[in-house]
Parts: sequence; structure tokens; C-alpha cells
Amino acid sequence: MFEEASEVFDNMFKSSFPLTFIVFIPAVLILVSPLPAEAAHEFTVYRMQQYDLQGQPYGTRNAILNTEARTVEAEVLSRRCVIMRLVDFSYERYQKALRQSAGAVVIILPKNMSTMPQDIVQQFMELEPEMLATETIVPVYFALEDDELLSIYTQTLTSSSSQGSSSAAEVLIHTATANGFQMVTSGAQSKAVSDWSITSLEGRLAGTGGEDLPTIVLVAHYDSFGVAPWLSYGADSNGSGVSMLLELARLFSRLYTYKRTHAGYNLLFFVSGGGKFNYQGTKRWLEDNLDHTDSSLLQDNVAFVLCLDTLGNGDSLHLHVSKPPKEGTPQYALLKELETVVSSQYPEVKFSMVHKKINLADDTLAWEHERFGIRRLPAFTLSHLNSHREAQRSSIMDVRPHVDLRKLSRNTKLIAEALARVIYNLTEKGAPGDLQIFTEQMVQEEQLSSVVDWLTAQPRAAQLVDKDSSVVSTLEYHLGRYLKDVRRHYVKADKRDPEFVFYDQLKQTMNAYRVKPAIFDLLLAVCIAAYLGVIYLAIQVCINSTWFPSMSP
Amino acid sequence: MTLFHFGNCFALAYFPYFITYKCSGLSEYNAFWRCVQAGATYLFVQLCKMLFLATFFPTWEGGAGVYDFVGEFMKATVDLADLLGLHLVMSRNAGKGEYKIMVAAMGWATAELVMSRCIPLWVGARGIEFDWKYIQMSFDSNISLVHYIAMAAVVWMFTRYDLPKSFRLPVTVLLGLCVYKAFLME
Repeated sequence: MFEEASEVFDNMFKSSFPLTFIVFIPAVLILVSPLPAEAAHEFTVYRMQQYDLQGQPYGTRNAILNTEARTVEAEVLSRRCVIMRLVDFSYERYQKALRQSAGAVVIILPKNMSTMPQDIVQQFMELEPEMLATETIVPVYFALEDDELLSIYTQTLTSSSSQGSSSAAEVLIHTATANGFQMVTSGAQSKAVSDWSITSLEGRLAGTGGEDLPTIVLVAHYDSFGVAPWLSYGADSNGSGVSMLLELARLFSRLYTYKRTHAGYNLLFFVSGGGKFNYQGTKRWLEDNLDHTDSSLLQDNVAFVLCLDTLGNGDSLHLHVSKPPKEGTPQYALLKELETVVSSQYPEVKFSMVHKKINLADDTLAWEHERFGIRRLPAFTLSHLNSHREAQRSSIMDVRPHVDLRKLSRNTKLIAEALARVIYNLTEKGAPGDLQIFTEQMVQEEQLSSVVDWLTAQPRAAQLVDKDSSVVSTLEYHLGRYLKDVRRHYVKADKRDPEFVFYDQLKQTMNAYRVKPAIFDLLLAVCIAAYLGVIYLAIQVCINSTWFPSMSP
Repeated sequence: MTLFHFGNCFALAYFPYFITYKCSGLSEYNAFWRCVQAGATYLFVQLCKMLFLATFFPTWEGGAGVYDFVGEFMKATVDLADLLGLHLVMSRNAGKGEYKIMVAAMGWATAELVMSRCIPLWVGARGIEFDWKYIQMSFDSNISLVHYIAMAAVVWMFTRYDLPKSFRLPVTVLLGLCVYKAFLME
């Protein structure tokens, strides 16, 4: 047969060149064509943070992966993708995977965080900063769990835990029946994003009664932070602060509309970006206002700066200061008014002042007021957290259920009352401590609730919010409804010595392909060879028997 | 799964044909071209069937769950053309005695293998993802080789005029089974 076939091909070659061309080029093209393969399962994965802050790299450095999946129980982890579920997650296992030079780590999170028991959530919250503190070459991904992913995990678990414990025959059978999974990400290697600008917004309410009025500045940062940027919703920290700021803006703009209640203080509201990255927005804003402009509200008479950070829960309020306020200053007045309001109107709240000196040797500043303190502006931060190192300030577990709306509105009312007493100088005028300036209906809980809901509906990591983002424009619109002179302020990292560098490839699509181990192919080849041999023998027997006498050669 | 896997499936599908060709002594009779002609007839018959189906049997509108017995029955009847094609090959093609059967069946089955199995195997078995269906497909082609040999033999028997009458009925029944096999499976 081959002779005839080769005759045919010879004729084809001799006849004309174009014919052979036509025959061979498609064959070659088909041979080298890339294959669009269908995966067993395709799902979205979110990468761990990757950023440089003041030259120091943090987080994972790598984005691509194309490795076989294993779970932590397996013996050999090197160059494999280790899959872990949140319930089984622990720092030792994570370290074990990294020590054995695993190819990648994928952590599966439940779709609904509130189904997790509290201690696991707490433990994970505390581990997040540790995971980020060291720079890892290994890409770490987070995926939300669904049924397919769970089944992939259980299959990988059974095959991983049975390795190394059985005889050769069992291993053979195992390879024939087991299902391995190959995890592949589509997407390129991560690289630094150039020219990323962080946006901040400011707006003001001008006071009445002459020039050179004292200014009160209210600040809250709107971005959020977590171990994975796409999963950091930042409900309490700092969605609560932003919604409170908007509510205060609304209240005081109403008061300032009427001549009778128009006070002699300028109010400056600042919604800052890059807060979780050492308050970059505030830093640049201060530089621009104090160093580069001739006249600015910040340069003249600043009464105090109040930063709002994480106020959506808890029954305590802490006023963090870097220098205890001296008697007779406006800051001291605010401190006293807060104490008065708390003691007479909200006795269930525990109020205290926390004094922490600014430590410039630290990698990052503690609270936002320290930025102002460095520039010699009197500032403090109000928060229900006792320490800036609390894990909930930078966790992906900080989702909407973490904000208790009644406590948020109570805190809003408290702060509004204290501010009003300072602005209108009520204590000097003899107003009693339990005089309620804002009645129940004035602080609108629905407004607070809808703002918090909107803020927590999308991730607000600083790497994801650029100047065209809807978060920024919606905030600008809201501020514009109540305040005048709403302006944007941009921060770009310095070219030669950048304070912050962000990297891309934070969200990827990962494909899980069902694969069989290589031994399976060999096994199959052996089986097929045996089968063909049997067929050959069978046909020979048939031919050589008396069934087809005329066909025997 | 890999090129190796593709090679495995291809071997599983193709080698029995090769073995059959070699061992049945067809190579001694220079029957290669005749097999190719049989294959060409297969292509022609399939083309006619497709045109016929497309023209006379519009797509059946209706619920997805109910099986349209009558429609599918008519479609299966068109498969009678397969039998006619086999008969055509065997009557026109030179070839002595029982060789006609083998030639026709080999050519027919090889053409079917090439047309309907090569491309899925190439595209599917070479990918990363593994699926048992490719091995199934290759094995299926072995079975269809045997099936076509049997079908050609029955057709030949049907056309023999010196067949004893008692054999007529089983032969007819077998022929009918061949045609409506796919229909009966549903």
C-alpha cells in the first residue's frame, strides 16, 4: 500500500509546485496553530497586594502561573499551586508552602463572609498584615468559592493526601483514575503602573463676619485596604468616616444657609485619597497649600483639624492626639465639648483621649492627624479604635455588616453637637450640657445608610480608583450639593524618587484544566498496543482458518 | 491532552484499518485505488443525503422534550442511501467475488474515519484538558469498521440472485436493522 501511496504523492510533487504548496501550507499551519482549549472550570481570582511604599516593596511580586494543583497535605509542594480554604488556613501552613518553594498559593474564600465563625475571621484579619509585610516571589491569589471550585478542591485533596502511602499497583490504578488539575492564569506578568494619580476632593463653607476667620478642617480618607485590592471594601475603615463627613457637610450647610445661624468659622471639608498608603493625598495637599500658594485657608488661622477614621461601630470613642491640647485653645474647647456631650447626652459611650507622639522613624504614620501635626497644624483623629495597629483598619473582612448603622448615626450626632457647641460658643454663653441642637430627625439615618451601602458596594483600593472613577465623581457631586468651591486635587508619584508605586494585574481569570499524569499516557499506549496485537492475531487466525479459503495469501 | 495522547487515539482508531487491509490480502490485489474510489462514493452519497435532508426536512419547531418520531423516522429512511451507495460501489467496482465486499467496506469506513473523526481528535485530543470521549471516539471507529463490513456483506447477499429463499427474510431484517440502528437507539 505504501508503494501506491508514494506513487500518488510523487505524481503530485512532479506535476506542479503550486499544488504541493496548497497541500502543505495548510498542513503546516494546522500543526502550529495554537489551541483554544476549554477548561474544566474558569473563575476569577484576585491577586494579593503588590506595591512599593517609600522604596520598600510589599506583597507578592509575581502574577503568572501555570502549575499543577495540590493541597497542603501533599508531600511534594515545590512548583505546584497550593490550594487552601479559608477554614483550613493558618500561618504555619502558608509558611510551609512558601518554604517548599511552591509555585503559587490560591486561597478560597467563602462567598458570604458572614457564614464564617468569628474566630476564623479574626485570625485571618490578624494574619493579613503579616502576609503583606514580607515580599514574596510567589503569586498569591484569592478566589470566591462556588460549587465547581469546591469539587476541584475536594478532588485535589483526595489525590494529594493519598500520595506516597501506597504500593506500586495502587499507584498505577490511582494514576488511571485520578484527576489532576492544571491551573493556568491568562494574563501577563505584573508591572508597575506609571502615572497613577490619586484624587482627593475639598470643599468649603465660608463663615460670616469679617476677614481672617478661624478655620475648622474636617478630613476623612475614602480609600480602603486589604490583603487583596479587589476584595477590600473598607466598610468601617473608612466608609463610616466618609459617610459621616458627608452628613456633617449637609447639616452645617443647612445651618449656614440662614443668616441667624451663620457662624463665624470657615469650614473646610477634605476627602482624601491614598489614606492607607501613608496618607499621600493629605501630604501633597498640605504641601500645595502651605508651600506653593500664597493664600490659603490653611495658612492663616486654623482652629483645629478633625480627622474621622473608623467610627461605624463600638461603644467607645478615642480622640487621638500627638500633643495634648493646651488650655484656652480651640482644640481644648473641642475636647471639653466632646466630654460634655458624651457625659450628658450619651452616657453609654466611653470617651477618652489617647496621646501618642509622632514617631518619624516608623515606616508609616499612625493616624491622619499626624500629617497635619508635622506641619504644625493642631489636629486630632476621632476613632472607636484604640490603636492604629488594629487589624480591622486594613482587612478584606471589613464588609458592610461591620458597620452598625445606629452607632454610626449616634456618633454622627455626637460629633455634630460638639462641633456646633464649639462653633457657636455655646458653653460660654451658658447653654446646658444636655441641650440638643440637632433633633432626632436632623441626622438622617437613611442618608448615612445609603452612602455606606454605596461605598461598600465596590472595592475602593487606591490602586483601583483613578481620576475617572465613579467613586470620585459621585463624591464630587455630593460635596457639590452642600459645599462651595469643590475642587479636585491630584497626587502623582515623583518620577525619580517615588513615594508609592502600584502594580497592575490585580484581577485575573484562572482556568483549571483536568489533566492526567504523564504515566497515564504511557499506560494507555501499552494498553492500545496490546489491544492492536490481539486484533492482529485474531485476524490472522480468522484468515488462516477455513472461513475464507479464497483469501489466504 | 498532549500530542502523545492524540497519537494514542489516532493509533487506536487507525491501526485496525491498517491491520485489516494488510491481513485480508487486499494489498495483494492492488486494491488501493478501488478503496479510494469507494471513499469518494461515500463522500458523494453523504453530500446528496445532506442536500436532501436540508431541502425536504425543514427544522422542526416545537418543544424540546418531545421526540419527533415521524420526522426522525423519515430522516433515518434517508440512510437507505448508504445502502444504495454500497451497492453501487460493489456493482461498479471490479473485483472478484468476496473482495468486492472488503474493498467497498474498507473504502467506505476509511472515508468515514477521515471525515468525521480526524478533526475532532486533532482539535480536542491535543488540548490540555483530558476527556474520555476521545478514546471512546477512536474505539467507536473500530466498531463502525466491523459494522460496515457486515453491512456490505449483507447488501451483497441481498443482491445475489442465487440466494436460497429461506435466507431472504433474515437478510432483509438485518438490512433494516443496519439502516435504522441510529433511530432505534434513541
